[in-house]
Amino acid sequence: MKINETRQGAVVVVKPEGALIEQDAAALKQRLSHLLTANLGRFVLDMSAIPYVDSVGLEALVEVTEELAKSGQALRLCAANKTVREVMEITDIAVLFDHFEDANTAVRSFL
Amino acid sequence: MDPQTPTTAAVTGQRRWLMRGESLVASAGLAFAGILLSVMIGSAWWTARTQRQALEAAQKIERQAVGDLLARNVGLMLARGELNATRRMVAESLASYRLTQCRVVLSNGEVVAASDPSQITLHKLPAKWIRTRLADDEPGLVSTHGRMATAHPVFVPDRGSATLEIAGPLSVDAELMWESYVGAGAIGAAAMAGLWFVYRRVRSRLRALTAVREALMSMAGGEAAGPSLILSPDLGPEAIAWNDVVVDKERDRKQGVAERAREAFSRRGQGGGDLSSLCDAMSQGLILVDEHNRVNYANGAAAAFLQCKREELVGTEIGQRLQVPTVLDTIRQVATGTQRRRSVLDIERKSEEGPGGVLRFSVRPVRRDDSASAMVVIEDITQQKAAEAARHAFVAQATHELRTPLTNIRLYVETAIEDGENDPQTRAKCLNVINGETRRLERIVGEMLSVAEIEAGAMKLKSDDVRLETVFEELRSDYAAQAQEKKITLAFNLPPKLTVIAGDRDKIMLALHNLVGNALKYTPDGGKVDVTVNVDARQLSVEVRDTGIGMSQEDAEKVFERFYRAKDPRVAKITGTGLGLTIAREVVRLHGGDIAVESRLNQGSAFTLTVPVKAEAA
Repeated sequence: MKINETRQGAVVVVKPEGALIEQDAAALKQRLSHLLTANLGRFVLDMSAIPYVDSVGLEALVEVTEELAKSGQALRLCAANKTVREVMEITDIAVLFDHFEDANTAVRSFL
Repeated sequence: MDPQTPTTAAVTGQRRWLMRGESLVASAGLAFAGILLSVMIGSAWWTARTQRQALEAAQKIERQAVGDLLARNVGLMLARGELNATRRMVAESLASYRLTQCRVVLSNGEVVAASDPSQITLHKLPAKWIRTRLADDEPGLVSTHGRMATAHPVFVPDRGSATLEIAGPLSVDAELMWESYVGAGAIGAAAMAGLWFVYRRVRSRLRALTAVREALMSMAGGEAAGPSLILSPDLGPEAIAWNDVVVDKERDRKQGVAERAREAFSRRGQGGGDLSSLCDAMSQGLILVDEHNRVNYANGAAAAFLQCKREELVGTEIGQRLQVPTVLDTIRQVATGTQRRRSVLDIERKSEEGPGGVLRFSVRPVRRDDSASAMVVIEDITQQKAAEAARHAFVAQATHELRTPLTNIRLYVETAIEDGENDPQTRAKCLNVINGETRRLERIVGEMLSVAEIEAGAMKLKSDDVRLETVFEELRSDYAAQAQEKKITLAFNLPPKLTVIAGDRDKIMLALHNLVGNALKYTPDGGKVDVTVNVDARQLSVEVRDTGIGMSQEDAEKVFERFYRAKDPRVAKITGTGLGLTIAREVVRLHGGDIAVESRLNQGSAFTLTVPVKAEAA
C-alpha cells in the first residue's frame, strides 16, 4: 500500500492507495498514530483511493479515532466510496468519525 | 512505512463476463474434433496398408502357381521337341498372366525361348544337354521393389533340365485403393458434420457451465465475490442461479465483516456520562492548577497537548510537564492570586519532526471561597495561524497586483488631460493603454473572485456534456493568431476519435486556456508548443509541452501557489497575476483530476492535465 501525504496549511492530508486490509491497515494505523503525536491530530484521511475495507482495517480506523477521542477529536475521513460507507454504516461505526465530501472541506474544518 | 509498497488492491475486472464461458467450450470442441480427425486418418491409413499387403500376398501365390503351371507345360512340350509351340506359349503368357518377362533357360545356360526374341541364344533344341549352370546360382531375372521375378525348374525327360524364369509387376489396383480412401473420407466428413451439429447444440448450454466454472476458478484464485463475478443472464438459468449465489455470498461477506467488527468494538468500554467524560469530549485542553502549582485536573486533550499521560499530569507540579517559562509564570501568578485578569499566550510548539504548530494558552483565575486556582485552556491554533498568514499574503499580493494597473491608468489619464487636449494622437495612445490596463484589472479581479470562491468552497461545477472535439477546435482557433505572431509552431496531436465527457465545460475550457496560453506566453519566438491528447475509458489526459524558458525545480513546486511567479527576470517582463495555474489546478481537482508539471530551466515545461472520464458520459 502506498501512502501519499500532502500538506495543506498546517493540516496533513493522508491518502492511502489500495484496499485497507490486513498488514496495510497496521501500516496506516502506525502512520496515523505518528501524525497524531507529531502533528497534534491535524490530519485528514482521504479515502478516495481505498476500494474496500475489511474488519482489520475498520478496527485500525476505530483505534485511531478512539485515540483522537481522548483529546476530544474524531478521525476526519473524506471522499469514502459507497462500499466503504456501507460497511461503516452496517457496523454502526460511522458515527465515530467526522465525514467530509472532499479533502478541501475536511481541511477547512480545522479553522 | 515504505511508501513504495505496491498496491494490493484487487482490481475488479469490468465486463469480464462478456468473455466468460466461450473459451472452454471452444477449446474442448476443437480438441475433440482434432482427436476424431486423427483417429479417422489413422484407421484409414491402417486399413489401406493391410489391404495392400493382403493383395500383394495373394498376387505372389498366384504368380508362383502360374510359374509352376507354365514350367510343367514347357517340360512336356520340350520333351516332345515342340520348340515353336513352347516359344508361342512363352510369348502369349505375357498378356495372359500380366507378366513383363518370361524365358526358358536350359541347364547349360542357353536360352531357347523368351518373350523378347533377341534374348534367344539357341534356335534349335538339342537332343540332350548337360547341366553346366546351377539353377539358383545366377538368377537371370532380378526382383526389385514392385516387381517379382521367380525361377521354376523344368524337367525334360530324356533331354535334361531347364529353368523357366518369369517376372512381372506386383501392382495393387489403384482403383480399388481409391475406393477405400473415398469411403473413409466420406465417413470422416459425415462424422465431422455430426460433431459440428452436436457442438452447436451443446455450446450454448456449456457456455453457462464453463462461465460458472471460470468464475469459480477466479474465486478460488482469491477474487472476492462481487460484481466482477456476475455473469450475463443471457447465458441461461445456470448463470442466473450462479448470480444469486454470488450476491448471497457477497452479502454474507459484508455481514461477516460487520459481525467481526461489531465483536471487536463491543469489547471497548463506553465512557460514563459524568462531567469528567464531558470535559474529555472537548477538543480544547483543560487544566486546573491550585495555589501550590499542582495540577488538580486535566482532561484528555490537555494530556495530548502536553504529550504525556493524564495520570502523569494530575497531582504533579505543573512545571514538570510544561517547560515554557512565560506560560508557567503566568499560571503561577494567576494561581496564587497575584494576577487577576485573564491572559492569552500563543506559543510555538517545538517538535522533532516538521513544524510543530502553535498552541494558545488561555489562563484565567478561578476563585472559590478562600482558595485560588487557575484554569488553563489550551487550543491548537496552527491552522488558523496558517490561514491568517495566507490571507495576509493574499491581501498584500492582491493590493500590489491591483496597484500596478491602477498607477498606469492614473498616469495615462493625467497625460491625456494635460497633453492630449490638443494632440489627438497622444490622446488615442493614452486611451489605448488605459483600455488595456482596465482589461488587465478586470481579469485580475475575475481571477481573484475565482480564487475567493475556491477558498470559500463556493465554487460549484455544472454538469455538461463536454464535446472534446469542439473544445480543441476552439482552442486551436483561439491561439492560432497568437502563435503565428510569435512564429511558434502550435501543434495539436489529437486521437482519431474524441469522445464526450461529463464535466463543467467552461471550467475545463478555463484550465486548458490557461495551460496553452501560458505555454505560448513563456515560449520565445520561433519555439514549439505541442498539445497531446489521450482519452481512454478511464481518463482524459492533455499534455501541453513547450520549448520555452522552463523553470527550476524549486519554481516548479511552487508554481501552483497563489500569486507565485518565478524569480526568473524573464518572467517579470511578461504580464500575469500568478493566479491562473492556481485556478486551473483547483478547477481540475474539483473534477477529480489533477495537473502535474515537469520542467527544466531553459529547455521547456510540460503540464499534464488529467480528468477522470465519468462512466455516465455518452
